[in-house]
Amino acid sequence: MSELIELSEVLWELPASTRSDMRVPARVFADRELLAAIQGDGSLEQIQNVATLPGIVEAALAMPDVHQGYGFPVGGVAATELPDGVVSPGGVGYDINCGVRLLALPLTEAELARRREPLVHEISRAVPAGAGKTKGRARRGAEIEAVLQEGPRALGGSDDLARTESGGCLPGADAAAVSDRARERGAGQLGTMGSGNHFVELQRVAHVFDDAAAEAYGLRDDQVTVLIHSGSRGLGHQVCSDYVKQMDGAMRRYGIDLPDRQLACAPASSPEGSAYLAAMAAAANFAWANRQVIADAVRSAVGRVVGDESARGTRQVYDVAHNVAKVERYDGRELLVHRKGATRAFPAGSDEIPEAYREVGQPVFIPGSMGTSSFVLAGEPGSVELAFGSTCHGAGRRLSRTGAKKEVSGAELRRELEGLGIVVRSPSNKGLAEEAPLAYKDVERVVEIVERAGLSRRVAQLVPIGVVKG
Amino acid sequence: VFRWVEHTAELELEIEAASSADVFAEALAAFAELVGKADGPAIEEEIFIKADDAAMLLVEWLDELIYLAETEGFVPEGLASVDLGKDWLHAMVDGHTGQPSHLVKGVTLHRLEFRQLDDGWRARVVLDV
Repeated sequence: MSELIELSEVLWELPASTRSDMRVPARVFADRELLAAIQGDGSLEQIQNVATLPGIVEAALAMPDVHQGYGFPVGGVAATELPDGVVSPGGVGYDINCGVRLLALPLTEAELARRREPLVHEISRAVPAGAGKTKGRARRGAEIEAVLQEGPRALGGSDDLARTESGGCLPGADAAAVSDRARERGAGQLGTMGSGNHFVELQRVAHVFDDAAAEAYGLRDDQVTVLIHSGSRGLGHQVCSDYVKQMDGAMRRYGIDLPDRQLACAPASSPEGSAYLAAMAAAANFAWANRQVIADAVRSAVGRVVGDESARGTRQVYDVAHNVAKVERYDGRELLVHRKGATRAFPAGSDEIPEAYREVGQPVFIPGSMGTSSFVLAGEPGSVELAFGSTCHGAGRRLSRTGAKKEVSGAELRRELEGLGIVVRSPSNKGLAEEAPLAYKDVERVVEIVERAGLSRRVAQLVPIGVVKG
Repeated sequence: VFRWVEHTAELELEIEAASSADVFAEALAAFAELVGKADGPAIEEEIFIKADDAAMLLVEWLDELIYLAETEGFVPEGLASVDLGKDWLHAMVDGHTGQPSHLVKGVTLHRLEFRQLDDGWRARVVLDV
């Protein structure tokens, strides 16, 4: 820890002089205990590698849930100055616009009562999960094209759009920049969860920390909520693969030399950079449409199990992306903010957030690990001052998948969760074990750090009462 | 032989093989272990790929297997034949169709390695899962 400078109790810095190739410092949001855990994997080296990107400004940032990734660490934020600062597809990740959407049902857990288990089962039937070919409805080419250009708007008007980051449509999307192979991978996957750490979770509001913000978000004690975690599926994965390879081949032409090939990048204004940004925006739109179709399926399940009135009253609180690059302005500069495993968290007063939330700040959702609490946060001014309008995105992995399976079996975990009163639906015991709570850091500590750092504040704590895992 | 190396979030694959062609056979065996078994119709897939160097050929090889698994439900079992050039590979892969059990999102260039040692070949690749 000796080379790290303590800027505050929850912010540490490796100066740019730490390595000759670093252009800016690397900063980590963490307390001493989390920092010790962070030093246990390769994430500190990776955030220093990010600090070498051409055009990066101020600092490469790691959130308290940071862990080792490839190229960028997961939980990393980097802003490059436009037009000539670089864009790095690896700084967004394979699952472009992986994100979370929160729905609030018009009833309490007590009112849901015995319909809880049937509702979880109905949601698991309505939202296809798992890897490979899925049972999502096959879409016509024209429909996919429209989704890539416009996002969920292409699927029909919905009040949810106003409560979605960027209105569910990133500007500059160009379906033509998305390869045929990416479209083939995405065909039939709209409205599907995927596997890995994706899930749909039925929850109850266990605690409200901030009454005014909770009221603005339409959340109250004991209310039932549904948290949806998914992304752009095979389509987004292929877009990332296509452009990482393209930029790997182009870097020499731009005189860029980096310590990790997976950081492959090109000036945002270059033909390669522009094409990636257009394809990334299209994949982000696909991801928002994916979560929209899942939300519609959840509402239909609510209708079948609880009743049509409850389905109509199931309101979207918000939808946030945590793997994306966006053009934003800070101190008069136009920057491209890469958030890989980090969430935008704009404070009160921002024009970018829905009017109904403008006095309290943007909602942010932090999923815990399976079986543990998730948190609703609100953006704070510190996010803009210290982190390009960003905060954390989850608990952050602590153990490898193999490590998790050594500690607990899927069957044991299933019994444990059911013992806690959580209904579990998962296609694979192995997949369940890989996502065991012990594989993750303590989400409550992660959230405490971002609050102490002034990036975002706690609004509500949600506890799981049913899990449908991908 | 292949082995999975501990990585916090992803899967790191290390391969040791007697020949460069065997590296691709081992990568296929590792991928097959990930996606599990299938009991659908037996099929043979033809794969032809090109890349600038051997390391990128390995990336393309695994990318192709991901694509076939995701779009056709192809679960590979073994290499029927392989011809390897400096910047190309042509292979016939035996397998069955089914429901691949593990999603691999992409093949990264992080810590990518493909080199000849005194006693054979060594390769490393990190998969995003």
